[in-house]
Amino acid sequence: MNLKHVFRSWEFALFVLLVAEIAVLGVINPTFLNIENLLYSTLDFSHILFAALPLTMVIITAGIDISGVSIMGLTSITLGLVWVAGVNIFVAMAIAILIGLLAGLFNGFFVANTDVNPLVITLGTLFMFAGLAQGMPALLDLLGFKAYGSGGLAAYQYEGITGLPDSFIHLTDGSLWIIPYPFIAILIFAAILSLLLHKTRFGRALYLIGVNPKATIYSGVPIKKVLIGAYLLSALGAVLAGITLTSYFTSARADLGGDALLPIITTVVLGGADILGGSGTILGTLLAGLLLGFLRQGLLAIGVTNDLIQVVTGALLILAMATKRLAAVYGEFRLNRRTLSSKERG
Amino acid sequence: MKRFFKSRELLIMLLLAVLIIITGLFNKNVYKFDSISEIFNASLTLTLISLGEMFVILTRGIDVSVGATAGLAAVILGTTLNLGWPIGWAILAAIITGTLAGMVNAFGITSMRVPPIIMTLGTLGIYRGLMRIITGGSWIENLPQSIKEPNRWDILHVPFFVWMTLIVIAITAYITLKARPARYFYAVGDNEEGAYLLGIPVKLTQFAAYTLAGFFAALAAIVFTSQIGFVSMNAADGFELKAIAANVLGGVSLTGGIGTPLGATIGALFMTAVHSMLIFLGIPGIWDNAFAGIILLTVVYIDYRVRTTIELQQRQSRIRGESGAVGGES
Repeated sequence: MNLKHVFRSWEFALFVLLVAEIAVLGVINPTFLNIENLLYSTLDFSHILFAALPLTMVIITAGIDISGVSIMGLTSITLGLVWVAGVNIFVAMAIAILIGLLAGLFNGFFVANTDVNPLVITLGTLFMFAGLAQGMPALLDLLGFKAYGSGGLAAYQYEGITGLPDSFIHLTDGSLWIIPYPFIAILIFAAILSLLLHKTRFGRALYLIGVNPKATIYSGVPIKKVLIGAYLLSALGAVLAGITLTSYFTSARADLGGDALLPIITTVVLGGADILGGSGTILGTLLAGLLLGFLRQGLLAIGVTNDLIQVVTGALLILAMATKRLAAVYGEFRLNRRTLSSKERG
Repeated sequence: MKRFFKSRELLIMLLLAVLIIITGLFNKNVYKFDSISEIFNASLTLTLISLGEMFVILTRGIDVSVGATAGLAAVILGTTLNLGWPIGWAILAAIITGTLAGMVNAFGITSMRVPPIIMTLGTLGIYRGLMRIITGGSWIENLPQSIKEPNRWDILHVPFFVWMTLIVIAITAYITLKARPARYFYAVGDNEEGAYLLGIPVKLTQFAAYTLAGFFAALAAIVFTSQIGFVSMNAADGFELKAIAANVLGGVSLTGGIGTPLGATIGALFMTAVHSMLIFLGIPGIWDNAFAGIILLTVVYIDYRVRTTIELQQRQSRIRGESGAVGGES
């Protein structure tokens, strides 16, 4: 990869935008430039990054997984309920991770074994997992599990489960020097995913599926296993997001992360992944996530309301996409012109 | 007619009938005329939004902003009414708002070449944000009686809005089956490049689809504002996903070119009926989502199995037919 290639890449553009954004917001509000504050503010959107990073891999295969936001709630409520039943919090966490991964396996299995549009499948599981998460406390009551409270476990479906142990809260509370634990986990997660995507056969197969699924099958790629792997990873991201949110809000709820769908997909798309498949990078998604997250924090800090931020984010998504599309069209146009004129001269 | 008996519409209608009959075994009240009428009445908002979404899905697009568009139109309706506008003007303002919101999507998708899911995700955020900015985040209450009145009208014991929606469905069904430009939606969705080569105005057709989605969302906004009598900030929240689910249930294919207004209507009716039947069975509302998801997945799975089996049979009969012809010649 030569230097010119780097400068013309979408990731470099995102990086420049990120630096410019922090500089501009810093000029308006100097406290924003404090590196410790900046790192600390990543806690507010770490769940979006966790979910968006592996979703990139699903989108590269020309698929999509919108059920992640429900898996977050499912993970959270499972964790809480198992803990309430008297199990050690970290064992409860392991069980919650397992349940979340099973949900991902269901998605992957359905996508890999039928030709049904992934949007339809994950739309169905979005409802199904959310319903399971909401109904789980009542279901456990029905099955005869005894709760401590008089209202039974069903009471938790509205209030959420609080009073989680400090060792669990410390997962998002603590930091290594000035870097919060979740952000370290995000960087490690991104590095692993990046290696998987760019340095393994599995990763190359993801791109190939996105460009031409038929050719992938004829190339002898175990396409079903690869697809299941992609949806499993996406579920893993949602599970990590669910755990982070539970720890951060110190409460296990079935509806955690429900409003994160728009920012998650915005992050992946702004990161350069093509919704039609075949392109995208983990680095791009990471940078886009930071760009959007800091933008939100910065605008909130200078007193812009949440509603206006929603408008700005939506407009930004559309503008970024339109610019990219029109630039591609213009590039093609220029290439055609150049070919034509060189033919005339020749 | 023969095609109708093999169609998804019939499958869903049968499922709906089975659902209602089984529920009726547990709770006789289901069979009352009022209960059935009430299911229709409750499904109107989703039906109207789904009809608009249908045009977009037919052209192989997707619109996830329809719920937000309906919310925005409802806010405009409520705000103008509380400013003292006559009801006719307020309704017109709401319809214009919805249509314009659809046109913004259409412009971005056809002229700026933004992929539909990205464009409408963006406007989903924008319209929801605008709703709160216009109202300052508070609900719109104390609406004048003039907007709540139509909800009480009934003709032959059937609410006025049910009649209105039935007429809208009938018009839409007639036009999509008989009018030439309406067939463009199917052509564009089935094969965009082929449609272009045939001289069909592809961009204009796509533009019309998103505009119609906005228009229908505004109609839905008027109905639910009248039915509920206030506008909350969560109005029509999540209806975009329900509308897509209703279309898929009703046999409107996300790969474009296949589906009917009848299908979209029945899909929406089914989604609502599941909710109502759970209430009749005494199952708490928290299970709504789980049932909706399981039913959606079951239906698409059955459809997949039926489709692949039919394709396999056709291929086998073709092979057999060809070998028979060869045998006859020799």
